[in-house]
Amino acid sequence: MVAAVLAGAYLANRLQPPATAESAMILPNPDVVPAFSAVDQHGNNIDESVFKGQWDLVFFGFTHCPDICPMTLQVLATAKQQLADAGKSPLPRIVLVSVDPERDTPELMGQYVDYFGEGNLGITGTVEGISQLTEGLGIYFKKQPSDDENYNVDHSAAVLVIDPDGRFHALFGGPHVIENYVNDLPIVLAGGS
Amino acid sequence: MRFAPLLIALFLTACSEPQPPLVASDVEVTRPMPGMKMSAAFFVLTNNTDEPIRITSVTSPQFATVEIHETMIEDGIARMRELDALVVPPSGSVTLERGGKHLMLMRPGELGDRVALQLMSDDAPLLTIDYLFASESAPGDDDAR
Repeated sequence: MVAAVLAGAYLANRLQPPATAESAMILPNPDVVPAFSAVDQHGNNIDESVFKGQWDLVFFGFTHCPDICPMTLQVLATAKQQLADAGKSPLPRIVLVSVDPERDTPELMGQYVDYFGEGNLGITGTVEGISQLTEGLGIYFKKQPSDDENYNVDHSAAVLVIDPDGRFHALFGGPHVIENYVNDLPIVLAGGS
Repeated sequence: MRFAPLLIALFLTACSEPQPPLVASDVEVTRPMPGMKMSAAFFVLTNNTDEPIRITSVTSPQFATVEIHETMIEDGIARMRELDALVVPPSGSVTLERGGKHLMLMRPGELGDRVALQLMSDDAPLLTIDYLFASESAPGDDDAR
């Protein structure tokens, strides 16, 4: 009798479908992050190897963006904190890649990413260097013409998940909602589907 | 006696305070982040009149430039554009929110605890929003006072 109950429980567990990411799109054939040259928020020269060794959540934005960029980074920071509070591991690093490197100095990037927590990475440099990264990942950005310094930059709103091997593993297309990240990140970072 | 409720209703209507033509609620003004020279303001505007109210400019003693902007996400691309005006429909409302319409506040002077935003229609003042920053500033943590 006991054996039958245990067998039933075992089968029920085995037959339960694996958890599935609901908001993230996991790429079946992840591409390696392309070669690029940039600098981090400390002014250090970096390249594609900066994405190796940890999971990264990568957003493309700029510090003069008043609503979408801080809102998205706050969603990522809050989701990461909630996962940490729940004891989840691994936790991703949050990365902001500037699509406005002409204005986004390493110092500005440092102040900006630090505002959303410790351990975040800010990437800036030259338009050419950033374009090496964005074009390889299919990320769009374009500076809009303006008569003064208060120009805008159109940019992709997606958040990319880069795996510890430096491969473009998954994509959150938005809208960016904390619950979506709290639900899906443990699945995505466990290599789920 | 049967007319008493009607008379009371008419009396209450006659005595009620007239509603302001334009009301702002759920106000949030973000402080400029460290090193930044811009921030944003979000709120709901309600028009209590039978005519559309058109806001063509906004000024602030605390910011040299205030522009009316709208962020749109189309085909996965975030685009922000300046609007010529903000129109609040008759007996309706307009929401300024993250990811949508908002005020962009640029080139701040010395910022204290308060910020004032004066909404104008052409050169005529419509409404002044007075906002008190929360003491500890984090994104989304400020409350309207």
